Amino acid sequence: MNNISLFRNCCLKILNRSRSLHTTNKLSLFWEKDDRGGYPSTLPQQGIKEKMRSGLAEMKEEIKLWCHEMKENLESDPQILFRPEEVDVAWRFKNPESLEKWIATCDSDYNEGFSNCTLARNMYGNAVFSGNINLRVPKDGRVYRAGYCNIKTKPFRRSFKRETYLNWIGYNTLVMKIRGDGRTYLLNIGARGYYDVAWLDQYHYQLYTRGGPYWQIAKIPFSKFYFSSKGRIQDDQHPLTLNKISSFGISAQDRHGGRFNLEIDYIGLEYDPKHVEEFAYEMYKVDKGIVSV
Amino acid sequence: MSMKHLFRISGILLKNNSILTYNPISSQRPLHLALVKFKQKEEKAVVIRDPFDDVKDKTKQSYLQMINIFINRDNVYRKGHVEFIYSALKHMHEFGVQRDLEVYKALIDVLPKGKFLPTSIIQAEFMHYPKQQQCIIDLLSQMEENSVLPDLDMEDQLVAIFGRRGFPVRRYWRMMYWMPKWKYASPFPLPDPMPTDTYELAKLAIERISNVDPTNQVTIYHTADIKDSVDDTWIISAQSATQKKLLSESDLKEPVFIEGPFTVFLRGNYINYFMLRGKPKPQDDSFEDPDKVENISVNFFSSKPPVKSIVKVPSVYEQEDGVIYSLCATGTSSKDSLLSWIRHLELDGNPTLGTLPVVFTLKSQIKEITVENKSAGGEEHKKIDDS
Repeated sequence: MNNISLFRNCCLKILNRSRSLHTTNKLSLFWEKDDRGGYPSTLPQQGIKEKMRSGLAEMKEEIKLWCHEMKENLESDPQILFRPEEVDVAWRFKNPESLEKWIATCDSDYNEGFSNCTLARNMYGNAVFSGNINLRVPKDGRVYRAGYCNIKTKPFRRSFKRETYLNWIGYNTLVMKIRGDGRTYLLNIGARGYYDVAWLDQYHYQLYTRGGPYWQIAKIPFSKFYFSSKGRIQDDQHPLTLNKISSFGISAQDRHGGRFNLEIDYIGLEYDPKHVEEFAYEMYKVDKGIVSV
Repeated sequence: MSMKHLFRISGILLKNNSILTYNPISSQRPLHLALVKFKQKEEKAVVIRDPFDDVKDKTKQSYLQMINIFINRDNVYRKGHVEFIYSALKHMHEFGVQRDLEVYKALIDVLPKGKFLPTSIIQAEFMHYPKQQQCIIDLLSQMEENSVLPDLDMEDQLVAIFGRRGFPVRRYWRMMYWMPKWKYASPFPLPDPMPTDTYELAKLAIERISNVDPTNQVTIYHTADIKDSVDDTWIISAQSATQKKLLSESDLKEPVFIEGPFTVFLRGNYINYFMLRGKPKPQDDSFEDPDKVENISVNFFSSKPPVKSIVKVPSVYEQEDGVIYSLCATGTSSKDSLLSWIRHLELDGNPTLGTLPVVFTLKSQIKEITVENKSAGGEEHKKIDDS
């Protein structure tokens, strides 16, 4: 009894001792400041006054969107039939406004490299993701690998800027009509989780392009996408949760520098009844303490 | 900030000898510098002598010899492994050994076996000998970046050095799981290593592009076979039966264009190619909605199908930006060689090319370049001059 109280007193003393001055760095290994991993936004930022003004102007559109959502809720007519072998287009670039949903970034935006890229529309109404990958590493002693360009959708929103996810639960294949330059690109599907450790979860698969003037239709089943967090493939793999798609992106980051060019007609989804694979990677149990550490 | 305060700060800094590194203050205070003059110490530049820099003959043999020299220098109290491995990794491209598994294994052998083995689970999980482990992890990631697949011997090496719970061993296992999966995943495979010859590369490129239709035929012509040709070079041309048919059916009044050069990228190599392209065919996108039931015509007495407009599915060559009749890459990418190409095509089953107006619309700036060979490490340009 005595021992326990002594222990308790000691504990209380240690816990109560407050330190006003921290001499060690905070270890924020898992804590995330935001879901951008601490990188600043490359979009133009508005001040509070401007935000108020533009927010009021946006009110009209948002209310319209909200009415539309309400109407859809009342109709409650969700898509239940997914026609096999028919592509539902998720993104197409036939009108200039379609580019507003996308954002192009590269390492030079964050002073971590010298690449540059653009996402534009050409005269035929196709998106052209092009630029130059530069493998030169800036001499800041922090970055030790550079050279990537990336396009990504802006966060999906409902009315009044509420965040939402895309639901692709009825489909099992990603279909893209592309015209590449022969490089290999990386497809990134965001699967943002609720807690901060899962904010930067993504699923990837490579997009191999043939090169040349002919269009190519790339069909990639979702079962092939592998799980990664912060760009590192994880040991514990799980299939993609198709009703929680938080973003879609394409990266040009093969380890060969130089200019690249990828023309996209559409990015679509398809239900392929012949594809029955749930997940392409082994899910067997491994020794405890070896994986995910 | 008062003058006195400034003075004090500078005094402290001087005492600690850290004035040279304390940039924000020393560079932005002209007032302060005027008041107190520091006698700055003479800068001592540290030159790191890198033995790999001194090697004259940079080959795989000399690289392995360097490793041997390091290992044999002091067999009992060997030290500086990590520094040696890092500097060796840095110089791999110079010696051209970045894709050689044997070299990586030789580098891992620099670390002594048994010395870094953890003796308890605590040691194992808290990364026993972290610098050494991180060094080998960096070596493995360099292997991965150069797509060098490790072998089973490497596992034995790593286990002997770090034990089965070592982090490099875990990384090795991950590499052995993922890398073979991607090695042959591409539907457009390329040989490994890539040929360095321009001709072979161009042939690969044209074969790969024309792979879109299996009936495509890749033919190699020589400009010397055509009379009056100036150049003496090769032409790699691709044309399918469909393209021949399309060309024979094309309107004789409409010109066809020789366009280019366009580039295709094959693992670090840009290859230029040219197209023979005509104007796009008008495509009727309007289609009848099968669900529309406003005007049903009931065909009692006709056996014809009720659908009025049946459109032929356009081939891959009929695109919205034009109809592609043929593709080629030539040794010089010159206008003359392209002219020879057209003559060859005309002789090779496209008689319409003799009557069709052919227009050259070439971008001039890359006229003399055939292959721009840009490897990841150095800027190596291969240029073949025209004329």
